[in-house]
Amino acid sequence: MSKRDAYEFAKPREAAPQFWKSLEEKAEPEAAKKRAEAEFPFNLTKDEEPGLGRRGFMMFAGITAAIAGLEGCARRPVEKIVPYTRMPEYSLPGISYHYATVRHERGEAIGLLVETHEGRPTKIEGNPDHPASLGATDVRTQASIFDLYDPDRSTSVKHKSGGALEAAKLAEFDAWLAGKIKAYEADQGAKLRFLSPPTNSPTYLRLREAIRAKLPHARFHTFTPVSETNAREGARIAFGQAVSTINDYQHAKVILALDSDFLQTEPGMIRATRQFARGRRLNTPNEPISRLYVVEPSYTTTGANADHRLRLPARDVERYLAALATELSTKHGLSLGAVATPLAGIKVEGVPEKWIKVVAAELAGAKNRSVIAVGSRQPARVHALAHALNAALGNAGQTVQHFPVADPEETEQIADLKALLSDLDAKRVETLIVLGGNPVYDVPADLKFGDRLATSGATLVQLSSHEDETTAKAAWHVPLAHEYETWGDQRGLDGTYSVQQPLIAPLHGGLSPIEILGRIAGEAPGGYALVQGTLRASYPQPLTLDREWKKALQRGVVTGAVTRPFPAMAVREADVAAAAAQIKPGKALGTDNLEINFAPDPKIFDGRHANNAWLMELPDPMTKIVWDNAAYFSPTTAAALGIVSGDVVEIAREGNKIEIAAWILPGHADNSVTLHLGWGRTHAGRFGGNEAERDWGKGIDTYPITQKLPENGKMRGFNVGPLRTSDTLGYGEGAKVTKTGKTYQLTQTQEHHSMEGRPVAIDATLAEYKQTPSFPQYRTPDPKVLPLWTPVDYTKGHRWGMSIDLNACTGCNACVIACQSENNIPVVGKDQVQRGREMHWIRIDRYYRNGYATTKDGNLDEKDPLVAVQPVACVQCEEAPCENVCPVNATEHSPEGLNDMAYNRCIGTRYCANNCPYKVRRFNYLEFQGEPMYGDLPEVTKMANNPNVTVRMRGVMEKCTYCVQRIQEGKIASKRDSRPMKDGDVVTACQQACPAEAIVFGDLNDPTARVTRAQKRDRGYRLLSELGTHPRTTHLAKIRNPNTEMV
Amino acid sequence: MGYIVPIKELGESPLVDPKITMHEVTDLVSKVSENRAPRGWWFAFLFAASFTGILGIAVGILFWFGVGVWGNNSPTYWAWDITNFVWWIGIGHAGTLISAVLFLFRQKWRTAINRFAEAMTIFAVMCAGMYPGLHVGRAWYAYYMFPIPNQMSLWPNFKSPLMWDIFAVSTYFTVSLLFWYVGLIPDFATLRDRAKTAIRRKVYAFFALGWLGSNRHWQNYERAYLILAAFSTPLVLSVHSVVSFDFATSVIPGWHTTIFPPYFVAGAVFSGFAMVMTLMLITRAVYGVKSVVTMKHLELMNKIMLTTGSLVGYAYGMEFFIAWYSGNDYEMFTFTNRATGPYWWAYWTMISCNVITPQIFWFKKMRTSIPVMFVASILINIGMWFERFVIIVTSLHRDFIPSSWGYFRPTIIDVFTYMGTLGFFFTAFLLFIRWIPMIAIAEVKATLPSADPHFGHAHAGDGEHHHEDKPSEAAPDAALVPGE
Repeated sequence: MSKRDAYEFAKPREAAPQFWKSLEEKAEPEAAKKRAEAEFPFNLTKDEEPGLGRRGFMMFAGITAAIAGLEGCARRPVEKIVPYTRMPEYSLPGISYHYATVRHERGEAIGLLVETHEGRPTKIEGNPDHPASLGATDVRTQASIFDLYDPDRSTSVKHKSGGALEAAKLAEFDAWLAGKIKAYEADQGAKLRFLSPPTNSPTYLRLREAIRAKLPHARFHTFTPVSETNAREGARIAFGQAVSTINDYQHAKVILALDSDFLQTEPGMIRATRQFARGRRLNTPNEPISRLYVVEPSYTTTGANADHRLRLPARDVERYLAALATELSTKHGLSLGAVATPLAGIKVEGVPEKWIKVVAAELAGAKNRSVIAVGSRQPARVHALAHALNAALGNAGQTVQHFPVADPEETEQIADLKALLSDLDAKRVETLIVLGGNPVYDVPADLKFGDRLATSGATLVQLSSHEDETTAKAAWHVPLAHEYETWGDQRGLDGTYSVQQPLIAPLHGGLSPIEILGRIAGEAPGGYALVQGTLRASYPQPLTLDREWKKALQRGVVTGAVTRPFPAMAVREADVAAAAAQIKPGKALGTDNLEINFAPDPKIFDGRHANNAWLMELPDPMTKIVWDNAAYFSPTTAAALGIVSGDVVEIAREGNKIEIAAWILPGHADNSVTLHLGWGRTHAGRFGGNEAERDWGKGIDTYPITQKLPENGKMRGFNVGPLRTSDTLGYGEGAKVTKTGKTYQLTQTQEHHSMEGRPVAIDATLAEYKQTPSFPQYRTPDPKVLPLWTPVDYTKGHRWGMSIDLNACTGCNACVIACQSENNIPVVGKDQVQRGREMHWIRIDRYYRNGYATTKDGNLDEKDPLVAVQPVACVQCEEAPCENVCPVNATEHSPEGLNDMAYNRCIGTRYCANNCPYKVRRFNYLEFQGEPMYGDLPEVTKMANNPNVTVRMRGVMEKCTYCVQRIQEGKIASKRDSRPMKDGDVVTACQQACPAEAIVFGDLNDPTARVTRAQKRDRGYRLLSELGTHPRTTHLAKIRNPNTEMV
Repeated sequence: MGYIVPIKELGESPLVDPKITMHEVTDLVSKVSENRAPRGWWFAFLFAASFTGILGIAVGILFWFGVGVWGNNSPTYWAWDITNFVWWIGIGHAGTLISAVLFLFRQKWRTAINRFAEAMTIFAVMCAGMYPGLHVGRAWYAYYMFPIPNQMSLWPNFKSPLMWDIFAVSTYFTVSLLFWYVGLIPDFATLRDRAKTAIRRKVYAFFALGWLGSNRHWQNYERAYLILAAFSTPLVLSVHSVVSFDFATSVIPGWHTTIFPPYFVAGAVFSGFAMVMTLMLITRAVYGVKSVVTMKHLELMNKIMLTTGSLVGYAYGMEFFIAWYSGNDYEMFTFTNRATGPYWWAYWTMISCNVITPQIFWFKKMRTSIPVMFVASILINIGMWFERFVIIVTSLHRDFIPSSWGYFRPTIIDVFTYMGTLGFFFTAFLLFIRWIPMIAIAEVKATLPSADPHFGHAHAGDGEHHHEDKPSEAAPDAALVPGE
């Protein structure tokens, strides 16, 4: 501490009057002063007293206090704010714009309209002009906005010069690549290989040709873990060329899905769902609807929508089809030609006779109007046989249409991959460029991609969105730009050509695959020029190109480039017969010979979305498990093996083995185990896991302070990859299951699976419906009571309402993620979900119920139950029980009948949620959107937030608002344009996303509105109406269409 | 005709030890606060205070992180928080019943325990009152619940039973505190007069409000006391009825029941008496006030517990009957689920503690056995906690839509918060015992033989009234006949 200088008073003037205190002082001033000093020693603190004296203490204390005070009034750093006075054109603060673009999903190009706010994409919507979207989206498309803002995306080019990967500049990579390509020109690229997932980009194909012209010996290989390669090979057998098959589920009368989850994980799910729902639409009891037969091992979304479902191990599906074909040709005179011969006599055990007899009769009776759909994982011969049957039934060209594929050169992937690997082993590869995908994680285990790559010594160049399992082996890692960040173009399954328009500059400076190819081909490096270069081939005139380009960007579809389906194609019967001859009975399945079947995960697919927290927390459509996968067993098999849900089992097959938690799935085929791909990632990120360590979670931690954060980076789920070999990409047999004695905490959002006989998700058969059209209303009658207070008159102005058609809803979950994205709903983590605190505003309830044969509810037939799904969000009761009980008026009714939440008024008594009979209210038990328990969210994640919706803090109740922000937007627009609002002006996020058109929203005071008409349907009912809540949302009961001969 | 025996209710034995004198009563009660605290008091105090510290920690964690540190979930949005709230409020009821209702009904035996019970009421209501503030998600906005004029256009919703709760509980607390304090004034004056140190004298003088024991003072005092007793009496019925409205006016099966108001009141009295009993038995043993709080008092309290326990048992049975009789599936399911569902253990704990336990008091031997009644009172306290737990948690955890069903598990912070309020309660109670006359000196004196206006004349047989034996500070019989 520095000594403070005392303030120097001006010295008294010499002439100033002198004073004295006493005569002694006057007489002897010096002596008096000494005496006084002896009595009042002023300088005690300085010398005489050791340490800190009273004055010193006071001084210190005073200074400390002063400094402490100063701390509070320290100058804040200067942070100048700049008004938005020079706005970029077409960007008004607060006004959102929609841009058309396209997204690739399993060979399908999904046309989108992306909502952006001030240049920041926030919400994905379907493009109604695009045939693969029709205005709707699927669950992964909805969640893709989170992928864009994934906080763990790779942020820079990395280069491994010595031991470890180090950040490098893109220019360095460009220089290295240019040098390499220059060097490769000498041997025409003989040592250059490319590995990429299948592409549907015409520009990619054009650049591939350009590279081939430049480096003719360079090879392009294709691999993706969940592919259509079997379907393509099947078409090659049947027709001699690969085709992409699109089934018309709308006009088909009878649909037979063989191990095909066409309503969830198969390509073209959005269009399929839309058409399927339309084919089942019932306005009156006398309309015809389609009938769906499903044969599958696991219980899938498609199985849940089946009228009749046969649980059958995946390997027996082909023999079932063979037996069906024989029945069709022998009993129904279907001409199969040479194909029939090898099929004769093929038997399939475990299939009731009626499943062959009745289904064959149904198919034969619906000529030109049936569909046999085969799942991608079934071998090529099953696809070929199905093509032959569809052709013989007259479906081909009618309800089953074949289109040219985007990349006709793509060959059987395993053979292709093996060719690459043998080149690697023979050290014929110097540089391997991986354009997307994660081969070290997802190449079949027996091919040992990682090891063979390492021993080959080839330089791996990886283009990838994350630093994943493959990155560790790479010499160069280049961040892959998201589809919403770069230019591109894509062809849909039906050949529709769309331009992929970027919505934001690459956040982390990544590149797209075509930009890398463009560099190698020696074209301009920008994606814009590359894509225009492709379009120029169709429109050589600059003016036409410019016009078409603008149209393409506006509409999202290039109208002039429509591809037509092939006319009915001739089936090569001999080839199909040769393939069908391979259908042979295997060893009987049993606990010593179990089947394992691999399915893409309905949420994270093959693991590419593993770090998407929205998808991680999305309940699995059937098991309702979040944040994990599990091995699914049938109740019978589980009992035979002595396992219960949550047991950790070891599954071994041919020397490979994995440990995985078991789950008993009612309705699963016996002696088969379903394994979902994409889990157990070690380099996915904070949400998907970036450690090899797993959290075994034995029940809930009762010490809440140590609650697991949602992004603690622990491994999520179980990697089933080590069991998946190149000959069991779809399924395989010979697996053994043993209990390990360990248990694992699997977390569900729904723990009770019976409706307990209550009128919740009401359904009936078509016959019952015809007999009693308004059957649901008998189960949920309005109470005959007098109102407690004068009822509000809602007949003036708007009266918002919703209708949810359970007959259309497939339970695909797209609405759940759409709602999460639209309404800034937080992710809470597995531990919080286990505590029952998930935040989804709309949930899909899934109930098991007894099959048709057993009529009484009660003891559930676990082996083969039916499934009912029901989306439930706030039903906006007119007499809302939640409103009366809120002590602070935080939830109130709007004049339009919305049950509004005033977040800043809510103090969090939670009484409203207790009193809500539908339990649709969600409480922020902790600060789920950031501090203090969860740490602040990364800034980039916050970019996904919708600026029109409040981000709720902890201690606040929230719930579905019917997307009140969209209602307001619609009202403002109508006021601005001086016109009355019309039906369809307001579309809620769930309605917008729904591929099945199950959700309809609108003004109930408008007699012509779709919602008004939907609510008046006879099978409409109001959930728990007997409580007198007068819900604004009406559910329309599900109608099943069973064949009486099957029951 | 004259009195033969000193004051005593018809056909009953003396309320206090007939040999005790007025001075002894004063001495016995005052000494507690005048002497040094016994070692046991210090142990108990430090123990209780450390639990109050745990309350501070638990509340700190709660406020810092949010309600999520408790085990509450969806659908069990209320769990231990409101269970504890109702439990504490219920406990408070015995105090009011003893002081106000029994006062109006001239049940003089109440005088030995009323101070005690009223103190218990105050502290229990304090503990209860904490929960509405603690359990809300944003405690710093809890004042939104009060009708405070403000610039934010905020006004509470008077349709909400929680709002009624706020008024019921705050009214109850205010009236109970006033009633307790008014009763304390003469006793504070006694302590003041006996004080040996200046500080002691000043503090007690402050609280004694200049009490002189004059006739006019007594007259005003008696009137005030009577009026407050009249105020408090309806509160005994209303407060817990209002608390029961939190549940009864809702739509949740198991809550939506018209039997709740009387059932809750009976339960409240039941639990309150059990708590008074627990505390009384400990204090009685520690401080040796057995001559004032006699077996007679304890036995009467046991009889009340038997009555209210049986009433509660009737309510439990009636709930099941109505659930069946109504033909409402949800209702029936809820009650079956209580007894046989995942929380069956809570239900059967409640039944065995609340219905079976008090039945032992049919037997005089049991009614008069200190160990038996101590254990029974503890069991009843536990059982009544479980009653609230059963009502709140088992009704919520499985309501209408089966997809939303869940299971509630408490966390360690739930336990800390509850133990913390217990710690706070006992801390406050120990401070009360230490510094405030724990037995209403003036009122007990009124029940002594010597307080009888005819005391000493029975033997003389002349019926004349002589008042010379009456000590000046003793309450006159006017306490019973205010208008006189």
